[in-house]
Amino acid sequence: MTVRTCLIVDDSRIIRKVARRIVEGLGFEVDEAADGSEALAYCAATLPELVLVDWNMPVMDGLTFLRRLRALPGGDAPKVLFCTIETRADRIAEALTAGADDYVMKPFDGQILESKLSGAGVL
Amino acid sequence: MTDEDFDRLQALMASRAGYRLSRERLSLAEHRLGPVARREGFETVAAMLQSLWARPVASLGWSVIESLLNPETWFNRDRAPFQTLTRDLLPALSKARDGRRVRILSAGCSTGQEAYSVAMAALEAGAEFELSAIDLNPRAIEKARSGLYTSFEIQRGLSAAAMLRWFDQVEDQWRARAELRQRVRFDAVNLLDPPADEGRFDIIFCRHVMDDMVPAQRQQALELLEQRLVDDGCLFLGQDERLEDDSVAFRAVAGRPGLYVKSPAFVRRAA
Repeated sequence: MTVRTCLIVDDSRIIRKVARRIVEGLGFEVDEAADGSEALAYCAATLPELVLVDWNMPVMDGLTFLRRLRALPGGDAPKVLFCTIETRADRIAEALTAGADDYVMKPFDGQILESKLSGAGVL
Repeated sequence: MTDEDFDRLQALMASRAGYRLSRERLSLAEHRLGPVARREGFETVAAMLQSLWARPVASLGWSVIESLLNPETWFNRDRAPFQTLTRDLLPALSKARDGRRVRILSAGCSTGQEAYSVAMAALEAGAEFELSAIDLNPRAIEKARSGLYTSFEIQRGLSAAAMLRWFDQVEDQWRARAELRQRVRFDAVNLLDPPADEGRFDIIFCRHVMDDMVPAQRQQALELLEQRLVDDGCLFLGQDERLEDDSVAFRAVAGRPGLYVKSPAFVRRAA
């Protein structure tokens, strides 16, 4: 069986831990990054199947990460879901236009994340 | 709550709503009855129940019943039925109805997520349709009509793209746009009551309702759904819900979990 991989990108260790527990429960192998720049370096080496990314982070924000990921060779392939406290409709639209597959407003729970991943065709 | 109180609640739920209030829901029932007692002006749940048993079932009884129903629902639940609807049923039925709008019912619609999911799918498919939605609980119907959902509710099953397309942000909630709300007619109706009119539907969604019902009332509800469905119509139950010996009126469609059509014996029209 192929290993399904998910990269969780958030500057909060607690949020990463919560998201990790949910995504692992859905059968993914999880790695973590604390900002967009770390995440981009990770993706340049190996592309995960799924990325959950926060918007506001130090060093490199989630939107910049997403645009640069999509510009990488093969960077269209990973499903990218924003998971952020940013809830304004125009920001959500901006993220989708930049190539996000879906968008999750914090706080969220396992049921929401599972339904979003199923809708994005990951589950 | 005493054992006797719980037994009487069980009997009340079964006879009026067909709802199976199982023992493991005892603590949930106590939790939900607290706010009802406060709202209705009683010191305690016990005092409210004493008053309830002393009189015929009226508005207090219905408040209690409504609070104990299972309201759980979310957008695009199970997904597959909505694809069957837009890819197969709506194109075929639109053709067969020769210009008449396809009539759809969401039965036991709770707070409206299923009905709005149907409306969004049908609108995106460009179908001509009429959509009604009914539920026993007037509070759920009121919320469904308002089209207002919390960010927890709106995100469960609905993509951000669909959310932005069909809903407006209202402070920290999301409200269905008028163009969507106007496509659904919501009414408080008990599935155990005979249909009030002759209106028949081409497609009925009644998902995750039967599983919560006691056998006798489940059979009654199914017979009444049969009366509401045209002879060549379709019934969607939940994907994991099975009609064993509950009803001879419907038969399962092979390869489509949860999809049912009328049994030949129940087709009234001559072939």
